Amino acid sequence: MNSSISRDPSHDSSYVDDALYARLVALATDWQSRSVIKRDERPINEIAADCTALINAEVRFADSLELESWIACYAPECIYWIPASYGGGDPRQEITHEIHDRRRLEDRIARIRTGFAYSMVPPVRTTHVLGNFEMWSLEAKEVRARANFIIDAVNNDRRRVLSGWIGYSLVDVDHQWRIAVKQINLIDADQPQGNNSFFL
Amino acid sequence: MTRTPKGAELEDKSFCWDDRVQPGRVHRSLYVDREVFDLEQRRIFGATWIYLAHESELAESDTFVARRLGPRPIIVTRDHKGMLHALINRCTHRGAAVCRATAGKARYFTCGYHGWTFSNDGACVDIPLDDAYGPAFEKRDRNLGRVPFLATYRGFIFGTLNPKKGEQPLTDHLGPAADRIDEWIAHNGGDHTKIRVAGAQRFLVNGNWKCIYDNAGDGYHPEYSHQSLLRMTQERHGEGMDLDYFAGGIDATPMYSQALGNGHTFIDQRPCMFESSVFDRQRPQPGREAVAAELIRDVGEQRAKAQLETVPGAGMNLSIFPSLLFIGNQFQVITPLAVDRTDLSWFATSRDDMPSGVNTLRLRTQEDFPMFGEVDDNANFESCFDGMAVPEMEWVDISRHLHTGVEKVDEAGVVTAPVSSDLHMRSYYKEWKRLMSSEPELVLG
Repeated sequence: MNSSISRDPSHDSSYVDDALYARLVALATDWQSRSVIKRDERPINEIAADCTALINAEVRFADSLELESWIACYAPECIYWIPASYGGGDPRQEITHEIHDRRRLEDRIARIRTGFAYSMVPPVRTTHVLGNFEMWSLEAKEVRARANFIIDAVNNDRRRVLSGWIGYSLVDVDHQWRIAVKQINLIDADQPQGNNSFFL
Repeated sequence: MTRTPKGAELEDKSFCWDDRVQPGRVHRSLYVDREVFDLEQRRIFGATWIYLAHESELAESDTFVARRLGPRPIIVTRDHKGMLHALINRCTHRGAAVCRATAGKARYFTCGYHGWTFSNDGACVDIPLDDAYGPAFEKRDRNLGRVPFLATYRGFIFGTLNPKKGEQPLTDHLGPAADRIDEWIAHNGGDHTKIRVAGAQRFLVNGNWKCIYDNAGDGYHPEYSHQSLLRMTQERHGEGMDLDYFAGGIDATPMYSQALGNGHTFIDQRPCMFESSVFDRQRPQPGREAVAAELIRDVGEQRAKAQLETVPGAGMNLSIFPSLLFIGNQFQVITPLAVDRTDLSWFATSRDDMPSGVNTLRLRTQEDFPMFGEVDDNANFESCFDGMAVPEMEWVDISRHLHTGVEKVDEAGVVTAPVSSDLHMRSYYKEWKRLMSSEPELVLG
């Protein structure tokens, strides 16, 4: 992804091109196929601590519905992706549950904020639990990570548990680590889903 | 209070549904009673043509997809000769599933319990140690159950267990709805063999399947149910975008609702949707800029514009009773799982006659409404179903435009009404009542 922003990605998603999709497919392969992370592939402790803090903060903001702080965890040019087949597939050729650029993520937030999004009235309460962190870095300004997740979600008297694993590509944007890509792999991605209109 | 009918009473051939399906209202028991649900699985989901799968999902020989016909788990297969089959996914020995995958390639299915093996045309080909069954035993008596009647219309495969239905052409059942399917195909390039299923977004709705079907032809709800989508679009992207024509006085628009016979219905959004460039008015989807720029570069502005106009959707809500719904460039399939649980799957489509960028943008468009609109619909369907639990409030209202005298009937029997009419519900309940009033002789081939 191009780090020098000439257009405002809240309103222009020129960065979503074929090269970006190719990169997403390559990332998904890397998240799934990386076996043992070699010592020299691990990020230095300071970077690993920053990245872990970012990953934890992002889900905390999702849980507390501080959605402006939540989206600030993302790089200006970002992708949030929930595949509809287990493991990802190629979103150029198959439908996803959700794949958003920044513009559509901001649409998602604005929809909830209208107060008329009946799937979020009352707002679904969530608790994210993340674990099994693994991190590796293949180039200076990018850290890749995997974590397992459990989300306990309550909508009045209805309660659901979602789980799976997440792949991250984190990038250094002006000396701040930000999420460039978050791919949420639901353990039942290919099965019927309930009301997932919160952020996973 | 209308007394809730019980098992034997419902089964009685003389039972009459008129108390429960009335001109402007239907009874809550049709939604909440387990016994009504069980009857529907035979009298509707066994007895009429039910959509099963799309031919593009079975493009090669020896492929299969797992589906349901009402409560019956089935495998739709294409054998090595290219013939389609719909087989009951139940071992003829003790009942276990012979196929536990949802889709794939297989020439044979072997039950994991005792190793009975069936070919993908349903024939029983191997039973381990079969000499213990005696000299009269024949493997061919143990073939998989099969949906005996299959028919395909423009790539859409339907099946039924009812000889009375299956011996009639599928086009008789579709009637004028077949022409509307053709129009949907025409919007998508005109050659149905180039339309391909590109995955599904599946939802689980905690409610009766009819709570979903009720909505399929409901032109009244968008301004209210989808208020968050309409408001957000206006706030973020300005006036005149997307579905804004649903806001305010919809019955004065040129949109309309139609009853096409046999319970099938249609809402036509096209007069509003295609009034001016639909791509220019579409809320911007991911990758729009790159795809448009690449297309203009590759095929020139005029052709690029024509191709991009196909991206936002067909502007048709075509409901084929009881479970196949064309919406936008997708189609939905309703699969009842239990009286209070329904699988609602949105099948996305791609076109083999379009550049890859157009298909990518088409997919980004198709996944938009489920996340921005369907979630609110589902919340409302579930809430309706919860409300139907109140025993003292027995009725579900379906009376919009029943008494306004504005319905028109043409020579083919097609009824046209304002877009906010409950014509859809009244029309499908007529067919529902007809089907539920007789017990068909269902057969497995």
